[in-house]
Amino acid sequence: MLSALVWIPVLGVILIGLLPPPDEAAIARFVKRSLGESLPPDPARLIALITTAITFGLSVVLALQFDSTSLQSQFQESVPWLEPLGLNYQLGLDGLSLPLVILNGLLTWIAIYSTEKSIQRPRLYYILVLLLNTGGAGAFLSGNLLLFFLFYELELIPLYFLIAIWGGDRRGYAATKFLIYTAVSGILILAAFLGIVWLSQSPTFDYAEIHTESLPLITQIILLGLLLVGFGIKIPLFPFHTWLPDAHVEASTPISVLLAGVLLKLGTYGLLRFGLGLLPEAWSALSPWLATWAVVSVLYGAFTAIAQTDMKKMVAYSSLAHMGYVLLAGAAATPLSILGTVFQMVSHGLISAMLFLLVGVVYKKTGTRDITVLRGLLNPERGMPIIGSLMVIGVMASAGIPGMMGFISEFLIFRGSFPVFPVQTLISMIGTGLTAVYFLLLVNRTFFGRLPEQFANLPRVYWSERLPAFALALLIVALGLQPNWLVYWSETTTAQLTPAIALSVEKIALRIEADPKPLKNAAVFLPSISPTANTPKATAYIHPSASSNP
Amino acid sequence: MGEFLLQTSWCLPIYGLVGAVLTLPWSIGYVRRTGPRPAAYFNILMTLVAMLHGAIAFQTSLYVDPQPILLHWFHAADLDLSFAIDISSVSLGATELITALSFLAQIFSLGYMEKDWAIARFFALMGFFEAAMTGLALSDSLFLTYALLEALTLSTYLLVGFWYAQPLVVTAARDAFLTKRVGDVLLLMGVVALSTFAGSLNFSDLYEWSETALLSPTVATLLGLALIAGPTGKCAQFPLHVWLDEAMEGPNPASILRNSVVVSCGAYVLIKLQPILILSPVSSITLVVLGTMTAIGASLVAIAQIDIKRALAHSTSAYLGLVFIAIGMQWTDVALLILFTHAIAKALMFMSVGSIITTTSTQDVTEMGGLWSRMPATTTAFLVGSAGLVGLLPLGGFWALREGMNAFWYDNPWLVIVLLIVNALTAFNLTRVFRLVFLGEPQIKTRRAPEVPWTMAVPMVSLTIMTLLVPAMLQRLSLVPDWAYLNHSAVLLLMLSGLGGLLAGCFVPFTRVWSRPVQMPFKLIQDMLAYDFYVDQLYRVTVVGFVAMVSRFSAWFDRAVVDGLVNFIGIASLFSGESLKYSASGQSQFYLFTILTGVSVLGVLLTYRLW
Repeated sequence: MLSALVWIPVLGVILIGLLPPPDEAAIARFVKRSLGESLPPDPARLIALITTAITFGLSVVLALQFDSTSLQSQFQESVPWLEPLGLNYQLGLDGLSLPLVILNGLLTWIAIYSTEKSIQRPRLYYILVLLLNTGGAGAFLSGNLLLFFLFYELELIPLYFLIAIWGGDRRGYAATKFLIYTAVSGILILAAFLGIVWLSQSPTFDYAEIHTESLPLITQIILLGLLLVGFGIKIPLFPFHTWLPDAHVEASTPISVLLAGVLLKLGTYGLLRFGLGLLPEAWSALSPWLATWAVVSVLYGAFTAIAQTDMKKMVAYSSLAHMGYVLLAGAAATPLSILGTVFQMVSHGLISAMLFLLVGVVYKKTGTRDITVLRGLLNPERGMPIIGSLMVIGVMASAGIPGMMGFISEFLIFRGSFPVFPVQTLISMIGTGLTAVYFLLLVNRTFFGRLPEQFANLPRVYWSERLPAFALALLIVALGLQPNWLVYWSETTTAQLTPAIALSVEKIALRIEADPKPLKNAAVFLPSISPTANTPKATAYIHPSASSNP
Repeated sequence: MGEFLLQTSWCLPIYGLVGAVLTLPWSIGYVRRTGPRPAAYFNILMTLVAMLHGAIAFQTSLYVDPQPILLHWFHAADLDLSFAIDISSVSLGATELITALSFLAQIFSLGYMEKDWAIARFFALMGFFEAAMTGLALSDSLFLTYALLEALTLSTYLLVGFWYAQPLVVTAARDAFLTKRVGDVLLLMGVVALSTFAGSLNFSDLYEWSETALLSPTVATLLGLALIAGPTGKCAQFPLHVWLDEAMEGPNPASILRNSVVVSCGAYVLIKLQPILILSPVSSITLVVLGTMTAIGASLVAIAQIDIKRALAHSTSAYLGLVFIAIGMQWTDVALLILFTHAIAKALMFMSVGSIITTTSTQDVTEMGGLWSRMPATTTAFLVGSAGLVGLLPLGGFWALREGMNAFWYDNPWLVIVLLIVNALTAFNLTRVFRLVFLGEPQIKTRRAPEVPWTMAVPMVSLTIMTLLVPAMLQRLSLVPDWAYLNHSAVLLLMLSGLGGLLAGCFVPFTRVWSRPVQMPFKLIQDMLAYDFYVDQLYRVTVVGFVAMVSRFSAWFDRAVVDGLVNFIGIASLFSGESLKYSASGQSQFYLFTILTGVSVLGVLLTYRLW
């Protein structure tokens, strides 16, 4: 079942590869005349749409069959592959990966759907997008560290070509930068994986068989440091983020959607799965620093976004800020905050995908993304009022207006992190205020005001261009009003990710009794929380005395 | 019947929302081309239904105990977010006021917005606005309240930005959103902290918790300040007051609601929060200080405005300042009374102002005059509204202010003085506006000024009657004391202050040219008041300037330092590669020479010690 998610796109790739070359003349005629719907259907596009629809449908079926109470990873598939190396073909699905797998299917479908029909070299393009889908799905599903690494690297190659061939003016620069950054991140991750497995003397690279408790703390911290930089590049976190704005600006709209919606999640997913999951002790030792790092990332991203004039760059920097919340919540590692990370990953995936889609439409119709040039696009007759209204929705969702998904995920993160890192949480909340500042700038400048002469004759916006954003908007609102659906899938897993750390916090707390420095922040608030907190879990987690011995 | 409607009164906000959502088809395609009127009628119908439902439920609730309803919304880990809904006579009375005013304002906007092409969007926003407010009145959970406050912020943004093609509107909408957002983010901090400390966000649980809570003074103070920040923004109190007068660029029917019930919503939240605020004495003091500053400052600023809507908007801030004082001093009944009377009177005044603007197409009082004989209903509405606001004639405002004077009379005489000053200044301001707009010689824009059509006149006259009936309502709710119990000296002082303001307003000489009342020798003061004590400019230099500077710096840092370093490494490796390629020239002599040089350098280094 899970293999199907990974290999059906590959099947599509093979099918597309067998197609005859497209009729270039017809496309040329189409481009010349710009006749919207009269282009002959592109078989490559059709195959791509069908395969991703199947995988997406399959992931939804999986979600329906998913046993939300089970602690194990489900639908497991295990085939020995290179046993001497410890590399097994091991797939599994749990509450952390399930939402991301569904997101991957959905956004790939949307990306293919919103690709221009007149795209150059369509077969190669759709093949690469499908491979990207495979890479993402495989990485989220793999239960073996080396397998994860393989898929992680696999996803990098198609994306490089997608940026380098179909990108903007500086695509070569952006694609190379992306390639180098991600390759470095891959090397670091591989080094960390090898270190983890070899030093802990695990028999294989299977996730379930790795136990790092025996490792000395300093070794663990070094390994975690490798993972942090490796995944920090991918997430991205300050100061490893500069590939992201460039890649987003140069990539075409569908690729930006995939990049922001799915590929960045590989970083946060990896950090939570492997950093928090495998090295909990080191994680909790570093967590105050991680939280501070998150705050820096959030504020830096938000402030930098304010000064941008390119709409895509603005959204890209907002990604930097919003992904910082995930690190904050991960650092706090309370059951609630880890659940919040899943929410934030999904909501950021949906919201930033929607924003990129809308920016893409604006760019396609006006030819610019410069907010100092654009004006008055909300004009009901000559502008694009529906795109504008959707933009207002997307922006408000991103700024955390209740009723949409951005709010509940941020609330979960803040509420989950506050007991552990009150100061960092409060400071990073300023970031939500700043989100409103830059996105309001964007909407006010581009959509409000009087439509200037130069944009008086914009091409028509077709329903096919609005529909993807509509669908995402509906999802954002639906999950914002009814977040329980996501909780249902993820809560067991995310709660399970935390006990490991709760135990190790006890260890650390014992260590701290000698030196009460690192958790000072939490200690300030402890006396005030403990008498009233009606939450045995939280208090048990905070109090070293509540010892349930491992 | 009544019992059933009372049980289902949780769905009051849904009516407005349904109206708003079902208006959406009128924004696209063929439905849009059929014209927006049906959407408007539908919204009005929904509001009417909400109003009738609320009215019956309110009648029933007077004889029934308050009924809490608990809706479980979200549960995860140790967080349980349930929405408590409070169905009591107070909350239902508030919804009744909101839906009634919303109903009148919507009928009013049928006339006011008649020529607007986007009337469907306007009514949808009004429906959303109304839904958020009724929800706020019914909500008994801080989480829900916060969410609805944000919804109000959003709808204010969209309503102020309704005519988004005008530059002033764009900045006004932005300022409205961001100013409120500052308060909201601080409030969110408070909500998150409170949720952690108390474990629940329902007000009843919070009250229970606050009785036994042990917070260190610093934490309690910070918590209290964070909690009052949200309402401060919503009620347009200093230092988050700048949005309200700018928001007057928006359509007038929305201003009717904004100046009457929306600002009251903020105060209503504050009243709900009050038992928690007691934990921190500092926040109560802050409330009083902010209230006093705003009350007097805004009353003064109002006097110097020549925009008729802004003159009234600042007076809204001033009255809400009095409410803040009352809440800070824990006189909740005074606060509620001022809110109630002010809401009705101010709504009436804004209807009257709306009529004036429709007829004259201007908001500048210096361009008006002599309207009294041309627009009798509007004039009456303005007069009655002013009388209902100022403590002079025994209408609503008088009784509310008297209640306030009574409350402060013995313990806080200086607050009585604040109250008297605000009353006098308001009377002065309203008299000034009245003289400029309705008396004197007609000017170009007021010469041909017919009375407004019935769609505007009917709600205006109805509200005029309602305003006149406010004392009777108060009487029925036994909020008006017997003659024997009246504090006669307080009443006398109140009336004297009102009268003083009135007379001063009547007799201060101002010519047409200088229609701002403060004259030439005081040019400095005049400008300072007209520009709202230069708070806007101050913010532009400090907060806005700071954010802009930091963002420019970080953008520069990002480009030059972080990315610069990355690019430098790239260029350095490229450059070294490029320059090293000249070493591969293909001449064997050169290679031999290189090898020999290398070997000899190595040899020298290795044998260095031996020499």
